[in-house]
Amino acid sequence: MELNSITFVIFFAVVFLLYYLFHRKGKVQNIVLLVASYFFYGYVNWKILPIIILMTLFFYFAGIQIGKCNEKGDEKGCSNWTRFTIIIGLLPLLYFKYFAFFVSSFAELFVSLGFNADVPTLRIILPLGISFYTFRLLSYAIEVNQEGMSAEKNILDFATYVAFFPSLLAGPIDRPNVFLPQIKENRVADYDNLVVGLKRFVWGWFMKVCIADRMATFIDPVVANYGTTNSSTLLLIVLLYPLQMYTDFCGYSNMAIGISRMLGIVQAENFKRPFFALNIAEFWRRWHMSLTTWLTDYVYTPLAFSFRRIGKWGLMLAITINMVIIGFWHGADWSFGFFGLYQALLYIPLVIKGKVATGGTIQWKSNLIPLKDLMKMAITYLLFAVGMVFSRADTITDGFAILKGLFIDWGMPHPGELMNWFIFVSCLFVLFIKEWLEESESKMVFWRNNKPVAVVTLVIALVVLIFVLRGSAPKEFIYMQF
Amino acid sequence: MNRNEIIEKTTAIFHEIFKDDTIVLRDDMTAADVENWDSLTHMLMITRVEEVFGIKFKLKELNKLKMVGDLISTIEVKLS
Repeated sequence: MELNSITFVIFFAVVFLLYYLFHRKGKVQNIVLLVASYFFYGYVNWKILPIIILMTLFFYFAGIQIGKCNEKGDEKGCSNWTRFTIIIGLLPLLYFKYFAFFVSSFAELFVSLGFNADVPTLRIILPLGISFYTFRLLSYAIEVNQEGMSAEKNILDFATYVAFFPSLLAGPIDRPNVFLPQIKENRVADYDNLVVGLKRFVWGWFMKVCIADRMATFIDPVVANYGTTNSSTLLLIVLLYPLQMYTDFCGYSNMAIGISRMLGIVQAENFKRPFFALNIAEFWRRWHMSLTTWLTDYVYTPLAFSFRRIGKWGLMLAITINMVIIGFWHGADWSFGFFGLYQALLYIPLVIKGKVATGGTIQWKSNLIPLKDLMKMAITYLLFAVGMVFSRADTITDGFAILKGLFIDWGMPHPGELMNWFIFVSCLFVLFIKEWLEESESKMVFWRNNKPVAVVTLVIALVVLIFVLRGSAPKEFIYMQF
Repeated sequence: MNRNEIIEKTTAIFHEIFKDDTIVLRDDMTAADVENWDSLTHMLMITRVEEVFGIKFKLKELNKLKMVGDLISTIEVKLS
């Protein structure tokens, strides 16, 4: 059941009514959320339900143990329990997502060394959402260990945090110390939450259906046959793919955050207009933020702390490991690792110049972007677009072949159906104007008007556009596969 | 070393790391109040504090530092 399906809209309408029917009983509201979340997950595939339930139980009891060690001031016990919890907690993810990759990589290594390694191809199906809820669970164990929060005693609340359906399949990755306090109280239907949430949901749906899906109908077939595509068409693909990925994933995030907000819960943000960034460091501060801040806190910081004696080299090493992990988090393939490594390399000039924290944002001149900043925006976009080729290609070799293909056979591009282009380019223009107004903090933002007439007009207009401009069949969200 | 001396030395470190000689430390000051203070420069600042005061932080202590006042108090405790 995808967030952009009619089935989901019906499911959510039922959950919404039941949820606010019990607005005087927060505990019952959480039961509604948990049952709905497990139903939602089981609807995808009921066989994967036991994995999330067992992991939830394990982390619940482990969290209590870590909390007890903290209360006793037993630092060693705390560290041992946390390490044990993290290792056990990572096992399902390692098995389902990376085991086949490890086996095939070792087999290739043995073959390249001249040994005979006849290993059958493993077909392990990745349970949806496991990368996302594993990270939620890990952050819980780490936060309890670092005394960022107390161990959660209420198993119902804890299970609701882990399985919360709007963000179960593809994030945002909420932090337990921000999420859990929000479900401790009764939640009453609040006008602002409802309209802000509804607008976010419908806007995300628009981004997904009218831009991302429309772009996919052009991009997907070309990437599948890149060997027979001319250079100008490949260039279009390379330039458009970041926008497809952004509108797909930011669209999904907006829908998830919007649904959550309608239920009175504020989720972590995932995007902050990344294409307005003037350098790659600023870009990554605005792209998939709930993952990058997670890794900054739990991977980068401990690494940078360990390497701090070697100054800027230590920072670069920590950044490189962090970015390669970001790459591999997206998929078990060397091409994803290469994507991360490439991103890390882009940081090096900034670290050397000491400009990681500065110069990344536009110096607006009465809502206009200065030419110098516009150039930096374009360069940052191009650098990211080149890296994205490797996250889209099946192998590193394919990635380089696509880049090489940009310089071989120039001719007129093959754009496919022109109406398709007209639709997604027009919608991209609307998206660009909206983001421009928000980024420049313009006061002309119609979006912020929460009066009933403005909200109804906007929502109806977007829903009409969605149904008029959508393609033949809804497409899966790209981030579901991660 | 008393608290004022710690603040004085820490201010000099902030001027050096965040490249701004106008920074005046306050107890409630956070990364949001200082330009250039992000996860990268934070670690450079912590390393410099360790060198200047001859102390060593634990990662857990580092994670508990929410504002400048926490940093000063932690240094004070470590020096006492």
